[in-house]
Amino acid sequence: MAPRSLIDVDSLTHEELEAVLDRAQRFRSAAPARDLLAGVPVLNLFFEQSTRTATSFTLAEQRVGADIITFTPGASSLGKGETIADTALTLAGIGVRVIVVRHPESGFARRLADVFDGSVVNAGDGRHAHPTQALLDLLTLKTEYGRFAGLHVAIVGDIVNSRVARSNIVGMRALGIEITLVGPRTLLPESFGRAGVRIARDLDAVLPSLDAIMMLRIQRERTTAALLPALDDYTARYQLDATRAARLPAHAVIMHPGPYNRGIELTDDVLADPRSRYVQQVNNGVFVRMAVLDFLAGTRAA
Amino acid sequence: MSALLIRGGRVVDPSEGLDALRDIRVSDGRISEIGEHLAARPGEAVVDATNCIVAPGFVDMHVHLREPGQTHKETIATGAAAAVAGGFTTVACMPNTEPALDSPTLLREIARRSDVAGLARVVPIAALTKGRKGEELAPYHKLAEAGAVAFSDDGTTVASPRILRNAAQYACDLPQPFISHCIDIDLHGAAVMHEGVHSARLGLDGSPGLAEDIVVARDLLIAHDTGKAWHIAHLSTAISLDLMRYARSRGVRASCEVTPHHLVLCDDRFDDYRADAKVAPPLREEHDAAALRAAVRSGDIDVFATDHAPHGLDEKAQLLSQAPVGFTGLEVALGAYAYALPDLSLDRFITMGALNPARLLGLDAGTLAIGAPADITIFAERPWTVDAKRFFSKGKNTPFDGMTLPRRVTTTIVAGAIAFHDGQIFPRTAIAR
Repeated sequence: MAPRSLIDVDSLTHEELEAVLDRAQRFRSAAPARDLLAGVPVLNLFFEQSTRTATSFTLAEQRVGADIITFTPGASSLGKGETIADTALTLAGIGVRVIVVRHPESGFARRLADVFDGSVVNAGDGRHAHPTQALLDLLTLKTEYGRFAGLHVAIVGDIVNSRVARSNIVGMRALGIEITLVGPRTLLPESFGRAGVRIARDLDAVLPSLDAIMMLRIQRERTTAALLPALDDYTARYQLDATRAARLPAHAVIMHPGPYNRGIELTDDVLADPRSRYVQQVNNGVFVRMAVLDFLAGTRAA
Repeated sequence: MSALLIRGGRVVDPSEGLDALRDIRVSDGRISEIGEHLAARPGEAVVDATNCIVAPGFVDMHVHLREPGQTHKETIATGAAAAVAGGFTTVACMPNTEPALDSPTLLREIARRSDVAGLARVVPIAALTKGRKGEELAPYHKLAEAGAVAFSDDGTTVASPRILRNAAQYACDLPQPFISHCIDIDLHGAAVMHEGVHSARLGLDGSPGLAEDIVVARDLLIAHDTGKAWHIAHLSTAISLDLMRYARSRGVRASCEVTPHHLVLCDDRFDDYRADAKVAPPLREEHDAAALRAAVRSGDIDVFATDHAPHGLDEKAQLLSQAPVGFTGLEVALGAYAYALPDLSLDRFITMGALNPARLLGLDAGTLAIGAPADITIFAERPWTVDAKRFFSKGKNTPFDGMTLPRRVTTTIVAGAIAFHDGQIFPRTAIAR
């Protein structure tokens, strides 16, 4: 059997997705043996700056006992297709069995996986996918509600530029979560609508029916690219502040993939809201990544 | 010069209103006789066209042959070989070479290399502005004297409507049309594919149909304003078709072409994030392709053209953002048109592939009339499977690779000599011009 990769959440079947989340939950309640991936060389290949994700992956790799190699090339090196194949061949020859890769271009992880004789874990490729982030978000919801089907989750903000939103849409649809995407049309084109995914322009109307709300980071460059006017025009309509948070049901949770821009997509008092789950999300990230590495190692042995 | 008898084929020549079993005699490079049951004369070579269709030589008015400057991708000679292998007796090469074809010397060199290659006739389309920079007008009259069959900055859009209008006014008295490549670079941005549900899903930058439509509208308005004969290259959206119809209803001298890939393929071919189907304008949505096919049937599209754009395999293997646009088209075109439009009459098929492009470019081609140059394409309704590795073109990349197409070229005759037959090319020492 060829080694499996995690390019997006849909690299996993429904059963595998549930199994990985269960495994992550087990790892969280009781640390597994530290030799799950003993002697397996794992390469962290980050073409793009990352603090939280890289740290989280490194810790997860340590906890399952992998041999860790870290390489942070510039985005321009290794850019050419020919070089992808050559590099993949070289890395496999050296003995690397798992590559955790982040790259600024959509599709890079898929292109690497297609030529690498080993497993690729996508740690974020351009605007395309960030499956371990979606898995940790799903674990957060699972912990909260113990179920997925019938939950209503809103993802708010810069959808078009967000790999987190794309991976969550894929994962949540697979698990039967109702999704409402919220944002202005420049950041959320109509083409995102599909079965199980609604598009809304009015955040206030959506709030009362939610089980969870996920606020995405708004980058200030969106104003200079003329995708947004002055930010206060955007925040007046789409910022989660105390008034809007009060319109959420008492049981609803507030999520953010981080890093957040205080005072833009959400306000300080919302971050302090007891329903905010940012810290739990980050914490779940380590267990989800351990579970993914363990799952992929298992597929390779099979 | 030796003579040739083409026997037993169904001869379809829209220019003469002919569709019947006929034999064709060729001598001195020209059609000399058409009739039933012609007898071979001593020394005359015979081409058996039984169960085949014999048509005037196909003309592709949109190819990129990369010479000078990028001969690792293609040359006049390899492009001319690919052309005859695909059933084309004349191809018009676009001027986006390095340097751009913006001087009479360069145009004459294209003609010379075409003669040396001795396969398809290669005629040059000259740059519309100096260096294709969109800033200064090219010397239209001198370029016309040197053999330019049209003017275009294909590959880019002339950004300034003022400069384009000035060019059209200045060149108004020349018969050579302007050819527009219509993509607004500001709306296009860093797009690698069409903007739609697939680009949204894949997280790839998309180019909206609007980026094409807005320039098609602008250029047709400039054609209206100046009276210049105008041709829209590789038209790909349903809305641009509507704009064409409107322009014609207002008396604009406008024509347009469609490529095999825009007729057959859509924007659902990027799930592997490979650049094999990356092209400009991008593959659109199924409703666009359906509108294009309908417009071929209705006559709203005048011409088939391949936009043959060869690249090295290593270049196309780059990441989507870095890989160049385009792919090889000449050797699949006739099959792909038939695949797209299995119900299209042969009369219309040949009109769009031979007669109309010859007329638009003012070529002595596209007809089997007695006395016309004996440029002849013979093809059969014979399915075949595309194997890009076997192309004569240096470009071995096409999204049609592996597809089975229903129509196959068997023989291509240029100036009365067999240039391609049964999978082999036969270069001549010189083509009579």
